[in-house]
This record gives sequence, structure tokens and C-alpha cells, in this order.
Amino acid sequence: MRAAIEVIGLRKRYGRTVALDGMSFTVLPGRVTGFVGPNGAGKSTTMRVILGLDAADEGSALVGGRPYRSLRAPLCQVGALLDAAALQPSRTARNHLLWLAHSQGLGARRVDAVIEQVGLGAVARRRAGGFSLGMRQRLGIAAALLGDPPVLILDEPVNGLDPEGVVWIRGLLRSLAAEGRAVLVSSHLMSEMQDMADHLVVAGRGRVVEDTSVADLIAAASDGRVTLRTTARTEAMEALARAGARVAVQDRDTLTVSGLEAGRIVALLGANDVPFSEVAAHRASLEEAYMELTRDAVEFRATIPRDGTATS
Amino acid sequence: MRRELRAEWTKARTAPGTAWLLSAVVVLTAAASAAVAATVSCTAGGCDQDVPRLGLAGIQAGQAAVAIMAVFAVTGEYGSGMIATTFAAMPRRGRVLAAKAAVLTGLTLAAGTVAVLASVLAARLILPGNGFTAANGHPPPSLADGPTLGAAAGTVLYLALIALLSLGAATALRDSATAAGVVCGVLYVLPLIPHMLADPGWRRLLWQATPANAGLAIQTTTHLDDLPLGPWEGLGVTAAWAAAALLGAWLLVRTRDVRA
Repeated sequence: MRAAIEVIGLRKRYGRTVALDGMSFTVLPGRVTGFVGPNGAGKSTTMRVILGLDAADEGSALVGGRPYRSLRAPLCQVGALLDAAALQPSRTARNHLLWLAHSQGLGARRVDAVIEQVGLGAVARRRAGGFSLGMRQRLGIAAALLGDPPVLILDEPVNGLDPEGVVWIRGLLRSLAAEGRAVLVSSHLMSEMQDMADHLVVAGRGRVVEDTSVADLIAAASDGRVTLRTTARTEAMEALARAGARVAVQDRDTLTVSGLEAGRIVALLGANDVPFSEVAAHRASLEEAYMELTRDAVEFRATIPRDGTATS
Repeated sequence: MRRELRAEWTKARTAPGTAWLLSAVVVLTAAASAAVAATVSCTAGGCDQDVPRLGLAGIQAGQAAVAIMAVFAVTGEYGSGMIATTFAAMPRRGRVLAAKAAVLTGLTLAAGTVAVLASVLAARLILPGNGFTAANGHPPPSLADGPTLGAAAGTVLYLALIALLSLGAATALRDSATAAGVVCGVLYVLPLIPHMLADPGWRRLLWQATPANAGLAIQTTTHLDDLPLGPWEGLGVTAAWAAAALLGAWLLVRTRDVRA
């Protein structure tokens, strides 16, 4: 399968700040690739380099095998949403899309089609400056869809959307991928990728920390752990610890056990007369898996000293 | 290049500010020309006035509106961040600059022509009442008169060159306030400097090099020998400034990262 986007060894400095430090990954068609990492990890810079807005000091970025700036009608190859606020507020939504359409040799019919597709039909002739952030995000997505491109690049598209909007964009991106398009979507919140991304590129400090499928990542983070629900927490912990398990408290009646398989746990608890209501394989959340991965890559992290107050 | 032109034309057409600024070019130029015409007088004994230049004096005000329009055509995009959308849609940035220049030149030529015609008309109506009559040796301006027509047409071209100079400066500087300040300095402060110099040689040289002084020599129809530069040579100086500004802008915009 031909990669839709190839990012090869990008390096970029802004003054003394290293923004990209050997960023490399590929984005394949037919799936949603989540591009996650803490703020400052280099996600937006990478996207700007892919779109030819910023020049990398080293490395290259290709879209469909070609540098973006050599594309003839780029919006028909790559649709992008970088910054939803990046429009002139005095122009109407429809006119904003109209000049974009004209820049690609497209007409007003296509503009009206995408406006309806993102649900802005009723406000198409209103000034974009009066739009809420959520409406601007939809307008930005309309601009990305304008050229019916096989590749989409969206920087934090969920930002500012109401819950209904979040569900909408999740469905939209999934269906775009199902049509065979390559979708690269960034976020600094891993939880947003749940039920949206098939594949994850995790960035930290200007490079890729992990490049994996969502399923593999969760399996790795859940590895061999068991969730135990019991009203007799203390007794359960003693019994399991004696048998050599490592036990972590999750909340008032839930423990996470590693080092023992579920069958042994059930037998041990029965032998010690410890009551329990549930024993199940632990399924890590994406959030947990992500924290594990980026622990060393977070630039500004709160540290918690012994007295319990957070400092940074 | 057709797509870039069409996109930039659609942008200009759909920005509410464009119509306002084009109207401002016409109104400011005509009003200021009329005001100047109303304050001069010519007696039966004759007067030493360059009548076409008087009638077109309002260009000093109208050029500000042209400059502001040109500056905002670019800095409006940088200020809002839309420039990133523009360059993502049209990655050949030199072509975008050329398309902006073409659209701006067209709009300025159109508004400038209306402004100049309105100024000449106002002068024709007002000046005879102040003694500018054929009997006094100073008939009111007429476009049927060759030198007057040259001054009027040259003034329209001068406005277009000011638009291009402002566009180039704004593209290089990116910030609205900075670009507007620099362009207004070039148009209104720079022309004063030659008058502050005592040395006639320096005074003459600086006058020749200033785009607003040299360019507006195109309006002169009398005492041409007293000018440090011929009218069309003067317009050439303004054109050189515009060309230099656009060249600088082109060199910068091609390689520079697109920041808002």
C-alpha cells in the first residue's frame, strides 16, 4: 500500500528551540491515524512542514510521493484544517469558501455542497467573524473537504466542539477513512482518540515515541493485569501479596493485580474466604497507555512531592 | 496564474473594506482637489499658477487611501492568520503576490481614473469663479489640452505605483501598523526632508530620489525646466521604488516560514 503521507527525518529549530528532532512516520490510506503528544511535541510544526508552510532544516515530507509545494491543485490532494480562527472575520462563510474554491479551479456548486455537509447551510451568508469556535471548526472542515481530497490533515479538530460536534466529527472522520482516504488527526488529549483512531503516532520532544495500532497499544498497557472487585480490600491484598502478586489500589473496592493469572486469584480468594464480586482481565484506557509512553517526553510536568502539593 | 488571479479577485470583491476604501480614494481626492481650487485666486493682472497641478492637488489625500487599501490587502491576512490558508491553497507564493498586485493595480486604476476625472470636473466648476478664466490667461483645466491630459493620466499611474509600493512593503513587513507607518512615512515625511537641507546639490538629489516628490512631477505643466527631473522621469523614480519593494517582498515571501 502506497503511503499517503511520508514524513522522513524532519528537523527544525526556531531560534534555540528544537521543534522537530528527527520526526519520521508514514500515514496509510483507509484509516484514521491519530497524531498525539503533549503540547510542544512538534505536532503542529510537522503538519505545517507537510503543507509547505514552514521549511524544515533537514528531512522531507511527501504527500502522494510529492512535495506539497509542487502540487497543482493542492486542496484536491490534501485537505487541511490547521487553525479554525485563521480567516478574515468580515467575509461571509460562503465567500471564504468561494475564494478557496476559485483558487483550485472549483465552482460555487462545490462550495454549497460542503457547506451543507458540515451543517452550516443556515449561516452560510453570515460573517464568519460572528461564528462560535465550534462553527469555525465546521467551516474549517468544510474548507478541508472542498477539493474532495484523498488525504486529510486536521490539527486539533475537536477543540471547541460541543459533545454533539465531537460525535459528529468522530463519525465523519471514520467514514472518510472507510472511503479509503488517509486521515491524520492530531490531539494533545489521548482520550479524544478513543473510538476515532485506528493507528497512533505518539510524538514527544520533536520525534516519534511510538508508532502502533490502537489495539496493540491497549493490549501492551493491559498486559497480564487483572481487575478485582471486592468489599474486603485489606484481606484480599494480604492473601494475594503472600502468594507473590503485586497489587495496586484503584479505588475503594477495586484492585489491580499483576503477577498472578485470574484462575489462581479466584482459587486463592476462595481458600482464604475473601468475598469478591468480579475478577476480570484489566483493559487499560488509552489515557493510561499514553501516560506510560510519554512519561519521559513531557516537557512541563507537575511533580508531586511528599506533602502532596503539586509544583511544576 | 489564472486560478491565483481569480481567487485574489474573489477575495478583494468579497471584503467589505474594499468598496469603502475605493470610495475613499475617489471622495478624498475629489474633495481635497475642490478645497484647493476654492482657496486659490487669479487676478486680471495674471497669476503664476500651474492650473492642472492645482486641479489634481487632492491626490495628496487620495494616495493615503490607496496605500491603506494596499497595505491591508496583505496585512489583513497576516493579522488574521488567513495567510496560512492562502499559501496552503496556493503554494506558489510568487504567483499569489503577482495576482494580488494585478488585482490591486486594476482596482486602483479604476478608482484613480474616477478620482482624477472628478477632480478635474471640480476644478472646472470652481476655478473660473476665482478668476481662472481664458481672459486672465489661465483657462480652467481641460482634458482636451495635451499637457493636462498627460498630467491626469500620469496621476492615475502614480496612484497605481503607490499601491504596488505599499503592497511590496506590507508583504515584507507583515504587520498592519508597521507597514502603514512605513508607507505613510515614505509618502508624507520623506518629501519634507529635501526642504530641510541647506546644500542645493543634496536637496536636488534627495528630491529626485523621493517617490512622492519625483512621482508627482508628472502633474507639472509649467516651468518644467525648474524641475530637478522631467515629469515622466519622475514617475520612473516612483516605479523603481515600487519595483524594488515588490522584488524584496518576492524574495522574502518565497522562502520565509508562514507565521501569523
